[in-house]
Amino acid sequence: MDKRRYFIRKILNAVLTIVLVASFNFALFRILPGDPARLLLPKGKTDPSVIERQRKTFNLDKPLQVQFLYYWRDTIQGKFGMSFSEKRPVTEVVAERIWPTILLVGVGTVFATIIGMITGVFAGWRRNGTYDVVSTNLGMVLYAMPTFWFGLLMIMLFATKLRWFPTGRMEEPGVELSGFAAFQSLMKHLFLPAFTFAIAYVGEYHLIMRSSITGVMKEDFALTARAKGLSENSVLWRHVVPNAMLPTVTIVMMNLGFVMSGAILAEAVFNWPGLGLLSYDSMQKRDYPVMQLVFLIASVAVIVANLIADIMYYYLDPRVQA
Amino acid sequence: MIPRRFRNWVIFWTIMVWIVLELLTYPKTVPITAGFSAVIKGFFSESVGQYPTWLPFALGVAVLAAGVIGFVRKTKARAFNGALIALAVVFFIWTFLGGGASAWADLDLARMFEFVGIAVLAAVIVAVDEIAYRRWRIKVLSSILRILGWGIGVAVVVWCAFQALAMFPPNTFAYNWLIQTVAVVLGGVCVWLWAAGNPERAELTTWNTHQVWKLYRGNWQGMVGLGILVVFLAMALLAPFLADHALLDPNAQIKDPATGELYGPYHPPTAYYYNWFGTDQVGQSVLTQFIWSARISLMVGLIAAFMSTVLGAGIGIAAGFYRGAASEGLMRLTDAFLVIPWLPLAMVLAAAWGQNYYMIILIIGITSWPGTARVVRSDVLRVRELSFIERAKAIGSKNGHIMSKHVLPNVMPLIFANLVLVVAIAILSETTLSFLGLGDPLNFSWGTMLHYAWVNGAAGLPAWWYLLPPGIAIILVVLAFTFIGTAYEEVLDPKLRKREDSTGESRFTARGEPQVAVAGGAGLGGGGAMFTPGQQTDDAMPDFNQPAGGSIGRPEGGGWVGGHIEDDEKGGD
Repeated sequence: MDKRRYFIRKILNAVLTIVLVASFNFALFRILPGDPARLLLPKGKTDPSVIERQRKTFNLDKPLQVQFLYYWRDTIQGKFGMSFSEKRPVTEVVAERIWPTILLVGVGTVFATIIGMITGVFAGWRRNGTYDVVSTNLGMVLYAMPTFWFGLLMIMLFATKLRWFPTGRMEEPGVELSGFAAFQSLMKHLFLPAFTFAIAYVGEYHLIMRSSITGVMKEDFALTARAKGLSENSVLWRHVVPNAMLPTVTIVMMNLGFVMSGAILAEAVFNWPGLGLLSYDSMQKRDYPVMQLVFLIASVAVIVANLIADIMYYYLDPRVQA
Repeated sequence: MIPRRFRNWVIFWTIMVWIVLELLTYPKTVPITAGFSAVIKGFFSESVGQYPTWLPFALGVAVLAAGVIGFVRKTKARAFNGALIALAVVFFIWTFLGGGASAWADLDLARMFEFVGIAVLAAVIVAVDEIAYRRWRIKVLSSILRILGWGIGVAVVVWCAFQALAMFPPNTFAYNWLIQTVAVVLGGVCVWLWAAGNPERAELTTWNTHQVWKLYRGNWQGMVGLGILVVFLAMALLAPFLADHALLDPNAQIKDPATGELYGPYHPPTAYYYNWFGTDQVGQSVLTQFIWSARISLMVGLIAAFMSTVLGAGIGIAAGFYRGAASEGLMRLTDAFLVIPWLPLAMVLAAAWGQNYYMIILIIGITSWPGTARVVRSDVLRVRELSFIERAKAIGSKNGHIMSKHVLPNVMPLIFANLVLVVAIAILSETTLSFLGLGDPLNFSWGTMLHYAWVNGAAGLPAWWYLLPPGIAIILVVLAFTFIGTAYEEVLDPKLRKREDSTGESRFTARGEPQVAVAGGAGLGGGGAMFTPGQQTDDAMPDFNQPAGGSIGRPEGGGWVGGHIEDDEKGGD
């Protein structure tokens, strides 16, 4: 397929999906029971005039179609209202929580991908060997395990019993550190949540890599490589693994969009001040404006990750280009 | 009485109906609703058992509609439709009369009767069937025996009912028990009558079941999964025998039987039965919570997965069957739902709509269907090109008819395998939501237990006895469903099977086969039967399509093409 046409099609698809999801976001917060104007205000007794003003600011007095247009205008301009638990614009509240999440998710994903892929390669290479049976069943156990439960076990073992790591947060409260000491403290705090986050995905990546390797090993070029008399190592690492990486990398990329669910759990358990903890807190406080924006960000992240996966696939797999 | 060919199948489904009803309606602690006015007034707020009144009512309406439609359309199985209507009546009575148990102590005895009653009934049916079909094949005699058999069966039920009624004060648990038992028996009768009305299909189904089961039990992972599942299902169903429900009351702390003192919060496990898993933050028995949680976790998982599969399969079939704009639109919708991150969405919905497990079922149901839709669609694209679809189109069948009578049966095995895998995901989802505190505060599930353990700082103590049991149970149940799903997929897909047939597995096959075959024989075999109707057309599965030379005959000419001609002419005009 023509390169430009392929990209344009994928990008158009993504934009269309974003439009659909954003419309869904609009609908979601209006089908909730109760007056939307009241939903966007803190709980408790409120002055009717305040509600009226709220109604005006969010254009809730207009018919639904008109509201829909206003919603789009505000979304494009980045106006998402005020968080009523923090009394600040939602965008501000959310912005400062993004980096911790990216740090946690980035480190966790890198670990999960590397460990899962390497263990998967060996399992697929010696399929049905002892190592494969043990590691693959272990992978399925990891896949079946609730992340948060593993996180609680980690806290119990490493934070409470052995006291190697702190139980949560990103830094010690009330302690100002700088330079290397600050970095060291951050790493100490990061280790358990990132490990917990990574473990949730290791099993999945292991299983994908294993089945991918098995599939590629049956292809003709793998047979040819062996017939040429190449060593087993060179067949595996030069011929089989690069080809088997393709689907795995794509799935890793697509999963990257769904990290929000994993992040919510890991961050809630470890009190890590990221987007996940923010959405958990705002759920408990019924802080709808924040929830709305976090939900939108999470959806858009998935779409963008899918788009990147598609584009990467174009460059990684020459068959798409043909 | 029941032709031997599908007897096991009928008994299996009778038991299945019973298990589902049990999971749904237990415990039957019900405020006795007085008459119609109360029911109508509180139609949506009142509850029969633990579920709202409209639920059995809706069930009754659905069953009644099915029966009436059957009569109107003049299908052959008149008795079947009649039984459906009778079943609907039972559901209505159930809705309006919903009685309740006053004392938990009464329950165990009454349930004993229930178990014994159904066991005796099954035994009588089998025995009478054997006599009628094996020894004397004389028509008159067998019909006399048939009547006698049903008489004895009904008599046993009625006897058990009267025993229960005589033992307990009127209008208590016994009413529910009686009505539920009648519903179960009628459900079994319905299945039997359906089979009698469609002998060819029933026979094919039974035959296919046998084949699937023969392949399935060679898979050690599948058998392990089935074993785990049976254990947890038994724990869920037998919960009233295993642990006193009264101990779930917020004020019910457990006492040390030796000293008579309360254990107090976070007491480590001891040898005393209710303290096997220690106590929680207020001194309640963790074991009791653990056992009763199995019900909610399994039920929510099963119903949510069923809902999601129905939705996904419907959209997948439509998207795969139609071409052009309709297909494109449905796939775009699927894509849009596929990218909605389910946990934030579920948090929004649960926060706004309140917390009970129907909400959780609904949330999981509407967020997890797109995966199923995609898988089903890709298989429908294959089926659509098969020649019998072309034939059906050529004689003028309508699209709806082709989809339900030709496409659906062919993708059914895939849908079933997918359903089992979705159950695993649904159970994990339920646990996650409950853990975040969005669960039903009135009913324990494993996720709710972990939530309380978390917010009360069990990890900081460390109270390992509070954290480990629910987590391990979740892993085992999810693993069991994953194993069963993948094993069933391998049975369906010969390509996967061949790959697995190499060195490693055969060892396990030889060993695992004999002992587990008895336990699960009726179980999954029957499940496969329902979902593997005779329309398997995959060329790669010769043993499914060739007539068997063995004892279980496959009707001649009743194959997947021939068997449909009659249908098509009816549906096509």
